[in-house]
Amino acid sequence: MATSTLCNQVAEKWQRSFAKLNREKEGITGLLEFTRAWLTASDQLRPRDKSGLAVKPPYDKTKLRECFEIIRSCNLHAVFLDDYLDAVGRHLPAITSDIEFYMKMYEVHITYPLPTFASWLRLIQREPKVEHIAMLINIAARWQRAWAPLPEMGASAISAFTCTFQTHLYSILPPSFTEGFRDLIAATFDFKSIESAPDWLPLRFPCTPGVPRPDFTLWIVMQELGLIERYETLILSVCYERIEKHISETCGKVWDRQVLQEMRDWMSREVVTWLTMPYARDARSAEHAAMLMKGVGSRLDYHVCKTLADLRTLEIFDIIIDYPDSRPALDDLKECLQRVDQRSQLVQSLRKANRRRLLHPGADTKLILTQYVSIIRCLRIIDPQGVLLFKVADPIRRYLRDRPDTIRCIVASLVGDGESGESGDSLVDENEPIQPINQTQLEDYTDPNWEPEPIDAGPGNDIISTLISIYDSQELFVKELQILLAQRLLAIKDGNFDRERRNIEILKIRFGEAALQVCEVMLRDMTDSKRMDQHIQQQTASDLHPTVISRHFWPPLQTNTFTMSGQFRKIQEDYANEFHVFKPDKKLVWMSHLGSINLEVELDDRTVEAEVPPLEAALIELFSEQDEWTVADLIVNVGSIERSNAVKALTTWVELGVLKEDSPDHYRLLKTAEEASTRATARQPAVAVEELPPVVTVQQQQAEQMRVFWMYIEGMLKNLGQLPLDRIQQMLKFAPNYDRNIDQLAAFMEAARREGLVTVTNGLWKLQSK
Amino acid sequence: MKVTIKNWHAIAQWRWDIGSNEVDDEGDVCGICRVPYEGCCPSCKMPGDDCPLIWGECSHVFHMHCLLKWLGTAASKQQCPMDRRPWGESIVSS
Repeated sequence: MATSTLCNQVAEKWQRSFAKLNREKEGITGLLEFTRAWLTASDQLRPRDKSGLAVKPPYDKTKLRECFEIIRSCNLHAVFLDDYLDAVGRHLPAITSDIEFYMKMYEVHITYPLPTFASWLRLIQREPKVEHIAMLINIAARWQRAWAPLPEMGASAISAFTCTFQTHLYSILPPSFTEGFRDLIAATFDFKSIESAPDWLPLRFPCTPGVPRPDFTLWIVMQELGLIERYETLILSVCYERIEKHISETCGKVWDRQVLQEMRDWMSREVVTWLTMPYARDARSAEHAAMLMKGVGSRLDYHVCKTLADLRTLEIFDIIIDYPDSRPALDDLKECLQRVDQRSQLVQSLRKANRRRLLHPGADTKLILTQYVSIIRCLRIIDPQGVLLFKVADPIRRYLRDRPDTIRCIVASLVGDGESGESGDSLVDENEPIQPINQTQLEDYTDPNWEPEPIDAGPGNDIISTLISIYDSQELFVKELQILLAQRLLAIKDGNFDRERRNIEILKIRFGEAALQVCEVMLRDMTDSKRMDQHIQQQTASDLHPTVISRHFWPPLQTNTFTMSGQFRKIQEDYANEFHVFKPDKKLVWMSHLGSINLEVELDDRTVEAEVPPLEAALIELFSEQDEWTVADLIVNVGSIERSNAVKALTTWVELGVLKEDSPDHYRLLKTAEEASTRATARQPAVAVEELPPVVTVQQQQAEQMRVFWMYIEGMLKNLGQLPLDRIQQMLKFAPNYDRNIDQLAAFMEAARREGLVTVTNGLWKLQSK
Repeated sequence: MKVTIKNWHAIAQWRWDIGSNEVDDEGDVCGICRVPYEGCCPSCKMPGDDCPLIWGECSHVFHMHCLLKWLGTAASKQQCPMDRRPWGESIVSS
């Protein structure tokens, strides 16, 4: 029920609106004028379907401006704009159908499983389908242009329209558009010149004269549609992919030259030139362009470094194997790592590769050491502070510590590989300055003047010190060195040991004079023996040339002494007498089982020349007394030797065709050669000197010691019943020379338990009752 | 059949000839420094001729350097450290 007040209010409102629209014109002419202006303007702007895409109907600029003027003066500008944007929204289906059409065209090519092989073949032969995406972009841009408000409406209207249009446009683009757009972007990489552009490009996007690249217009259109902004990450990811592809194609396994700069050059040549299209199209000068692309350029540079670092990280193990040929690759990696923080990945990768490829039972200790040394050298290039090395080296060092022959390998490489020649693949770099081994001194933090180590000092000094520091003490090394030296020296026949002397001199610098005193004595024994032999030979010439050693200064030598037979014994005695004359206060004790004898066996129809160990010589000498022997008789004649050794020695002669085993344990001298044995006699002189080291190894020494300690253990368990491990350890400490720790003892007891000698219950050990 | 030796490279140890003929003994030690005779006294580095032995009339044998050092001290009273008899060097060795 309308009251009079309400009527009045409506009337008043109506009056005001009318006044606004009529603008105080006569009668309703103002109103009519406004209506005309509204209709003209909206007709001009109205989004048109298909037909509208052609050309905008010509319009009179002045007249149109007048129309806008009228609308604006009536303050209905905003309403008009809203109405216009609504109309745009209403007409969108026209665009939708276009977009669907092109997307379908595009998707047809990627929809794979196709019914017949023939059609499949036909389709894969066709060019990739980015053309349709380009056309889609083209058509969308044309719609946008066709529907865009006239510049007369002002900037705010244009931006409002662009926003509405693009929002709608993006909402109707199917997800597969992203894929297609990406392909299109990627394809533009190859549109370097007019010639290399595909045919469709200049057709759809006519080239502006004077522009270097044929895809210039395409980029302008994309910009117009706001695609560049919207898909910025996509564009960059295309660049990244490009970089990754290029680097993996050109740099994989290329380690002999630095490639980082090459890649950077490539990037600025290829990628950055291309990037001027999306980012610096309208740059006025090169400097301007550089400024515009500064941000994106550094992102790409970062990506180049990252990709290369990733690649090298994957390859790091092989790079290290190739060192020093792969030095340039390491320099590259170093530079990359300064830009990209991937150090932990590098450590992980290298540790993993080491675990998989190096630290397994199949790898030779020497090989592990060589690789370890290479790792040290390589990681020092990448990271002089040694932090990386520290992290990587730890598992290797722990592994090496558990290998029984590590020390021997290190020592062998310290003195240079005997047989493999002077310049073998020794771990020691000849050029590396020799330094004394710095014992790692514990830092004294209570020192008020304490200062942290300089960051670039690095943990290791030289390679050898690093290797030796795998173990806690260098005592083991000296011991092993002594054994190795003994083996070498005892094998020397011509008295030339300059090489050994030189090595010891070098090692003295490292280990210190005192530690190698023993080696010094060994070397002097060699010199003395030579001099003594020369003297004795002058008195009475002898075929015997002994090396006389000072027994307390040599590692324990295997002792299974036997007595030489016949003429050998005589020669020994003669020589010993001669020695006694020369040095009246000394006498010689022969170690008959060591050394080697070059001899000739004269038989009825042939002579056999051979270089054999003394035992072989002693046995064959016995055959000159009697033609047939049993093994037992032979052993009785030479003294305490093991049966197996005797048989082995006899086998040597059997192989040489001198003896024949008629029946088990029964050997006969072949005075005349047998058919089968002629083969053996052919190879002369035969060398049957065994390669086995005559020196007792550290392990053997330890085992020998442990046998003694077992007696103690057995004794105490017999007397005291059962004992806990730490008690046994305590008591053993009273035993002379006992230097094992409780873990070693535990391992030993465990071994004894396995052999059924002891049992353990609740940590108490007792003897197995028999 | 005859075996002819052309060249023989052998290994031997030297021992001080102190009269005993046992070969396998672990070696006696100097009564002063407790180091084997074939080793060297604490002040020497090279064994053998550089660190010889000295035979006493009392049949005790020491490293020469060890004994001379001992005799040089006042407490020695020029006696053999083992049996406190006056020290005299045995001229005839072995």
